[in-house]
Amino acid sequence: MKIVKFSAMWCSGCLVMNPIWEKIKKIYPQIEFINYDYDVDEDMKEKYKIGNILPEVIIYKDDKEVTRIIGEKKQKEIIKIIDSL
Amino acid sequence: MKNKILFTLIILFIPFLVSAKTDKVDLYLFHSETCSHCQAEIAFLKTLDDVNVHLYETTRDKKNSELLVKVKKKLEVNSPYVPFTVIGSKAFIGYNDTIKDLIIDSVDELKGKEYRDVVGEIIKTKKVREDLKIEGIVIDANSLNIPILGNINPKKVSIPLLAIIIGFVDGFNPCAMWVLIFLISMLIGMKNKKRMWILGVTFLLTSCIVYLFFMMAWLKITIQISSIFIVRLLIALVALIGGIINIRSYFKSSDGCEVTTKEKRQKIFTKIKNFTSSKSLIFALIGVITLAFSVNLIELACSAGLPLIFTQILALNNITGFLSFIYCLLYIVFFLLDDLIVFIIAMVTLNVTGISTRYTKYSHLIGGIIMIIIALLLVLKPSLLMFNF
Repeated sequence: MKIVKFSAMWCSGCLVMNPIWEKIKKIYPQIEFINYDYDVDEDMKEKYKIGNILPEVIIYKDDKEVTRIIGEKKQKEIIKIIDSL
Repeated sequence: MKNKILFTLIILFIPFLVSAKTDKVDLYLFHSETCSHCQAEIAFLKTLDDVNVHLYETTRDKKNSELLVKVKKKLEVNSPYVPFTVIGSKAFIGYNDTIKDLIIDSVDELKGKEYRDVVGEIIKTKKVREDLKIEGIVIDANSLNIPILGNINPKKVSIPLLAIIIGFVDGFNPCAMWVLIFLISMLIGMKNKKRMWILGVTFLLTSCIVYLFFMMAWLKITIQISSIFIVRLLIALVALIGGIINIRSYFKSSDGCEVTTKEKRQKIFTKIKNFTSSKSLIFALIGVITLAFSVNLIELACSAGLPLIFTQILALNNITGFLSFIYCLLYIVFFLLDDLIVFIIAMVTLNVTGISTRYTKYSHLIGGIIMIIIALLLVLKPSLLMFNF
């Protein structure tokens, strides 16, 4: 499984989500996490067709996009989504 | 001949006796036509038999309000509020059940007795006689006796309370938070920690001054025109529309950061990078002040509804001068509270923490409800916003 995350240094919601994603990484060491900056990684933003609400997270399974998480979510909600895939 | 002299004396003294020992007590009520408590008191006074009620409407009749000023000066009362009732040398501010009972007691106490009629004196002599020092007893309907805290005047508490609530709700405003966070991120990267604090504090202070300037200027305008119903209607309309937009964005917006246009973002980022990396402190200060100025003008447009409403309430309560400055400052302290929290945590921990955008969503909802309620009150029941108990 692979998780691609888009955030920005000035985005309050992203800052709130950072520690949550750190915990998720510890819970799921086997998942690959890739972080992109909305302002810096412009090409990636185009490639992954990122909208105008941040943070935006795309989850891949077997290299296929299975779901997107947009905005802030509670840790429980994210664990539930990952476990359901 | 003796009878004639006796008869003349009686006639001479009767007026003196009557005014001293008249069966009816003179009661003077200073009121305003939009004040619901005044209307309630007038209705009550009509039921009293032993009272000569003298009514003085103070918002339309200049002579009446001048008389009120003289009476309050004599009784050393600085409360600007009506209803203001005077019986003899006793005065009552506001009207409620307690005051009602006290009026009845005072009338019973003075009926048929000799008493100093302060207002009657001022009316007859056209001036405040300083020679006759009196013990003016003033009972303020608004003050509540709360254990430990003692005498609290809820009216004096409600406007500051509104300043805190509306300021706090207004503070959770997404428009400029992203700029502050970006600025803080840049500041944290600076080696010179003293300069970091100077620039950060300057940004917040400038934001405070810009907002304060706008609110005071708007209050000055509103005070002049707020008595005009059409103006109040317009302000109510702005508040109503603002309220609906706020509630709509509560349901529409997601729990995330809405990204503004790239050009706008880049422009502000470049500005911030320029002055945070500049060698000259003066240049950096000028940069941070202009940034704060422009960002807060955006904030005002983004949330102008709430400060507009708050200043309208100050205008309705005729609060001007230094007191209005204090209330606006209180509003802004709570408006900047979330920015202050983010700023101080970042400066101390050198780590930027955000505030969940959920609070922004709730502030839209609460702010929207407040705006709609006040908008309706402004039109339907402005007296409820006048905090006259």
